[in-house]
Amino acid sequence: MRDKILILVLIITFALTACGGKATTAPPLQAAPTDTPVSANPPSSGEKVTLKMWSHSNPAFQKANELLIAKFQEQNPNIEVKFETFEYDLYLQNLETSMVAGTEADVMELFGTWICPQYASGGRLMSVPEDVMTYDQAKQIFFQATLDGYYCDGKLYGLPHEFNLENGGALVNQEMFEKAGLAFPPQWATFADLIADAKKMTAVEGGTMTVAGFDPITGDGLTFTFLAAILEQGGNYFAADNRHFNFDTPEARKALQMIVDWAQKDKVVDPVVFTDESNSVSTAFWTNIMAIGFIGSWAAGEGLISYPDFKFDYVEIPTYFGGERHFAADSGWGKVVSINTKHPVEAWKLVKFLTVEEDSAVIYNTTSGTIPALKALVANPDAVLAKEPWIKPTFDLLPHGQFIGNVTDRDRLFYTIVYPTVLLAMQGGTSVDEAVVKINNDANAMVDEAK
Amino acid sequence: MTNIAVPVPIRVKQEKGANLRPWQRAFVAGSLTPIMALLIFFSVLPMVWVVVLCFYNFSPARAGSGFMDLGGANPFVGLDNFKAMFATSQTSHIFRLAFLNTIVFSVLVLPVNLVITLPLAILVESVHDRLKGFFRAIYFMPVISSAVAVSLMWGFIYHPQQGLLNALIKAIGLTPPRAWLTDPNASFLGVNLAMIAVIIAYIWQDFGYNLIIFIAALQGIPQEFRDAARVDGANAWQEFWHIIMPLLKPTLLFVCVMTMLSSLQVFVPFQVMTNGGPAFQTEVLVKNIYDYAFRYKQMGWAAAISMVLFMLVMFITFIQFRLLRSEVEY
Repeated sequence: MRDKILILVLIITFALTACGGKATTAPPLQAAPTDTPVSANPPSSGEKVTLKMWSHSNPAFQKANELLIAKFQEQNPNIEVKFETFEYDLYLQNLETSMVAGTEADVMELFGTWICPQYASGGRLMSVPEDVMTYDQAKQIFFQATLDGYYCDGKLYGLPHEFNLENGGALVNQEMFEKAGLAFPPQWATFADLIADAKKMTAVEGGTMTVAGFDPITGDGLTFTFLAAILEQGGNYFAADNRHFNFDTPEARKALQMIVDWAQKDKVVDPVVFTDESNSVSTAFWTNIMAIGFIGSWAAGEGLISYPDFKFDYVEIPTYFGGERHFAADSGWGKVVSINTKHPVEAWKLVKFLTVEEDSAVIYNTTSGTIPALKALVANPDAVLAKEPWIKPTFDLLPHGQFIGNVTDRDRLFYTIVYPTVLLAMQGGTSVDEAVVKINNDANAMVDEAK
Repeated sequence: MTNIAVPVPIRVKQEKGANLRPWQRAFVAGSLTPIMALLIFFSVLPMVWVVVLCFYNFSPARAGSGFMDLGGANPFVGLDNFKAMFATSQTSHIFRLAFLNTIVFSVLVLPVNLVITLPLAILVESVHDRLKGFFRAIYFMPVISSAVAVSLMWGFIYHPQQGLLNALIKAIGLTPPRAWLTDPNASFLGVNLAMIAVIIAYIWQDFGYNLIIFIAALQGIPQEFRDAARVDGANAWQEFWHIIMPLLKPTLLFVCVMTMLSSLQVFVPFQVMTNGGPAFQTEVLVKNIYDYAFRYKQMGWAAAISMVLFMLVMFITFIQFRLLRSEVEY
């Protein structure tokens, strides 16, 4: 009997230990309103404080964070930052399981477009205290598109590091342009000029396309092209309530028809051979199987690590329909603070140091190969361009970008709804009309499911 | 004497543990408790949690009002998650595709695996003793390789432009498929080419496991039975069919159950080689669970799919036990 009691006690002890995570980390501020100014909370006592910070383990991002944390700790010897990184998928899993248990890090690197529809509305994040930064102040220093993913219900839930741009630029292969007798770097006046060049560089051998003249096929690339082409025509992909979608429009049909034509009429890309799964632009461009790869400038930074001698350029591409440039952009990676943090003062101090201070932003952007979210770094770009000159063409694009909006679940919209349907239309598996209706129905069903 | 003798068998059975000394009992408790705790916290409790979650519209990104964030923003929805499986939305459609693809994958993998491994085991068993170990090691190597590495390797083999397979096909003067893993319109006998490509890669990695089990089982069949069959005039086929096969039935049951269980839960090759494409033709249940649980944060829905997978595994295992049960002992 005594042994049974002993075993029972052991099991209960284990159970309490395992289930008690949330209770032991229960924050003193949890009951406080999330918009409470930091100064209203218990002030920093000057004692040694340990903050935990999490990010994904992309080497460039990891290095950027490590450099900045070292600098921050030098300036703030009373604050120790324990920086932990996780492989991307594992990071997402860790965030989700730890948030339920209340054991997430004090400061986390999150993608801006996720913030409001998922984490902030779910009550997982602390809003930026007004004595750290107000939304109006933030609008003065950050590009609007980078900020709006963090702003909802009148509160700001984090500060951005980067302008996540997947539009308006492309990688171009110097050798292929020169071999085809085309000017390099290209100076396209219209999108038709780009397609004309692409046709000259497309190659097919034995029935297999060996070089794609122009490859826009990535999960992000196809979706952003589709959205930008709608916006360029003066259209809108949101319904009147700004929550549901309206893709069943003439503008959406015209946008999708243009994309389908690249594959079926112009034949500058084979949508079966060149897909995100088989020949993703970010990797395949560097293997000489595409002449023009439509992708964000980050791919240049990443490619240069593995292919430092590759002759290429990153250039601006013309608007699709010849009018004024408009495009939708994500709010990119930035820093947020957990609602469960025990040290909000120090956590926000760290976030502000990482994102707002220009010296830090230069280190972050140039090390991670990202485009600055701070307007000041684009207005005075020397420090950034000295280390990543290829992003210069993107600077002219930035003012034309608008935040993509509250798309409910960004990844699901992009990778499960728009990308596979647009790709199927390019492959001839469905008509443009059917594809537009399907995207519209599936996207709205996603919104309804999330209610 | 009678009073003492009668209760002995009962007392022995009831108080077996009572014969242990206190330190022995402490040792037993100390040894079993960590294993039990491990089992409880990493298997039993997560399973209970999954059962609970499938009745909630639960997202880990939302803070709920009750225990473990249940309730409030993560409301109880009863059987709604299960009812939604029959709805017309894309989520439901993808689930049904995944269910079908999982069954197609498992049903194809099992017979192909058996057709390869059983004859191969007999062949390996028939070679000289010095060579047996070599062959066993060679065939078992893929099993101990990383599934991700194997999937990446097969991804390169199937690559439409630079892949080894297409190069070989072209070298012998044939026309290869346009793309093995990404063509939604390519199929063979009604099965999408990408699914067939993943099945080949999976079997390549997995067949060594069954091979070793069959070899062990063959070695366990007493030689006298075969000798007796030969004395009675049985040829090689009759010996295999009437002697070896019946005696292999328990092993066959084990192999069938294990192969089916593992193939119903395959994730890595689908994630790495096709990501569920083209057009969701290789989307399977475990990948569907992963996507909705961790990418789209719909844990309640993912938990409900997990329950369906659990029931499917239970049902198929039960059927296999009924069909392949054997009374043969040796």
